[in-house]
Amino acid sequence: MRTKLILGTAMALFAAGPALAEDMVFTSWGGTTQDAQQEAWAVPFAADHAGVNVLMDGPTDYGKLKAMVEAGSPVWDVVDVEYDFAVQAAKEGLVEPVDFNVVDRKAIDPRFVTDHAVGSFYYSFVLGYNEGASSEPPASWADVFDTDKHPGKRAFYKWSAPGALEIALLADGVAPKDLYPLDLDRAFAKLDAIKGDIVWWGSGAESQQLLASGEASLGQFWNGRLYALQQEGAPVGISWAQNLTAADMLVVPKGAKHKDLAMQFLARATSPEGQAKLAELTAYAPVTPAAQKLMDEATVKGLPDQHTEGQIDLDMAYWADHRGEIADRWYAWQAQ
Amino acid sequence: MAHGPSTMPAHGLPAAGRAPSLRRWDGLGYVLPAFLLLAFFFVLPVVALLLRSVLEPTPGLENFAKLLTTPTYAQVFLNTFTVAGVVTLASLLAGFPVAWLLAVLPGRWAAFLFGVILLSMWTNLLARTYAWMVLLQRTGVINRALMDVGLIDAPLPLIRNLAGVTIGMTYIMLPFVILPLHATLRAIDPAVLQAASLCGANRWQAFRRVLLPLSLPGVAAGSLMVFVMSLGYFVTPALLGGASTMMLAELIAQLVQSLLDWGMGGAAAFVLLVVTLALYALQVRFLGSGRMTAGGAG
Repeated sequence: MRTKLILGTAMALFAAGPALAEDMVFTSWGGTTQDAQQEAWAVPFAADHAGVNVLMDGPTDYGKLKAMVEAGSPVWDVVDVEYDFAVQAAKEGLVEPVDFNVVDRKAIDPRFVTDHAVGSFYYSFVLGYNEGASSEPPASWADVFDTDKHPGKRAFYKWSAPGALEIALLADGVAPKDLYPLDLDRAFAKLDAIKGDIVWWGSGAESQQLLASGEASLGQFWNGRLYALQQEGAPVGISWAQNLTAADMLVVPKGAKHKDLAMQFLARATSPEGQAKLAELTAYAPVTPAAQKLMDEATVKGLPDQHTEGQIDLDMAYWADHRGEIADRWYAWQAQ
Repeated sequence: MAHGPSTMPAHGLPAAGRAPSLRRWDGLGYVLPAFLLLAFFFVLPVVALLLRSVLEPTPGLENFAKLLTTPTYAQVFLNTFTVAGVVTLASLLAGFPVAWLLAVLPGRWAAFLFGVILLSMWTNLLARTYAWMVLLQRTGVINRALMDVGLIDAPLPLIRNLAGVTIGMTYIMLPFVILPLHATLRAIDPAVLQAASLCGANRWQAFRRVLLPLSLPGVAAGSLMVFVMSLGYFVTPALLGGASTMMLAELIAQLVQSLLDWGMGGAAAFVLLVVTLALYALQVRFLGSGRMTAGGAG
């Protein structure tokens, strides 16, 4: 994909002379999601801005992002990051403040916009299961911890991030309103009980492979990845009970070369049209409420915002404050 | 493998007078590009990373103290040395017979076998590791076959644990122990084995008392190479291992990429570098620096 774009750019450079073409770089997590972001945002953006190419890069790598900013010459202009990282990055001065003269802040769901980041899309962690694995479909997070009723491996997100600890606490009977501050001792104790049955997935594609192949019977998944599996006809089911919302955010690295273009790109990405198109392609929910009106009924039905009953918002402010200490403990526990 | 340590110039001292030693530096200009490349793209970044280990978040040795006192990191060190040790041993045991076969086979067959080994070595590492995932996982080829035949009821845990890492890495490291071993074994005069058997040694005695001692330089070179390479391995342990078999390279990647803790990452990288250099020093001390390359080229 990238090679093709670069080739195209190179040819454009030869044809038009070096001064005309501007290459901004958009970085995301690859796979089906980034393909959708390219189609929904980058292609129309480039069409609207003569002489601008939007190159794709990825996957997002926080270490690289930090190195680029520290070196003073970020190659990336817009980066898709996890919400808790976006908050931390703003604190560490790694990202530019969003120019709200260009981006319409009021149009975005206030849950998914900060001074330094705008929502990319929002998604839910849901209970996914392989339909062949168990006679009775699992219905709650507690079922994920019941190895007698539902044998087989459990898939969980590998990296320290909002989600798995909350799931453990909910399964242990903690009421949603009492989740925060997280009782880490209790959460780790709960996870400990099934630790030998956990397989960790580090990427969306890996999670799909684990569940579709039956390597894992059930577990914690991004709703969009399960949607994609179902579209392909894989025997995969979803339980939306107590689905946990989180979001990806778009940030502009400090000192980005095409900062102005990047801000316009954020505006395009968060526009109702951009959000509606992305939702249609990915089954992730739009961060801009007005996008709903532009979407067909079938698309709307598959979105996390249709499952608000019992839905829980992961507390990103809490996570941003405790990201480091939880990570230390998470990786220590994993490695034991 | 004709170069013994005795023929190596000792500590760079001129062997005979001043003029030859000067002449030896004549070619210096030609190595300059390679030297500069290494200096700018290897030495400089490494030094920069190491500096961070003593400067971030505050100047001092606290990163190293944390690295050496935190149980998690101790576990990672233990994992790293365990895996490297087990893989080295397994590669030696599996590689020795192959190296011997290569040494005694007639030319054309040996060339064929060499081709197979080198082909596996040149095949993309990631592709080979993924192939092992397909074979080893719970729903993989091996477990399915064993369950279909009725030998086992539940899948064997062959992946995301030490077994998976050992199998995958041994396979990848085999050529690096076979090649130096083969060079050593080929240089052994077959007549000494005949002599042993004429003197009444049985096969085991001939192997243990004659062949094995003579092949020790190759064994040492191959083992060190595999051990050192294994210490810093990333892809295969990351894909075939589990969270509890994390090795140093994975830890460094995690510290740098996910936690943005470059001070700790630098400290871990420094420890890995020191251990590697120490092992290299051992090798130079006991085998001479020419040994491994001579063996590897064989």
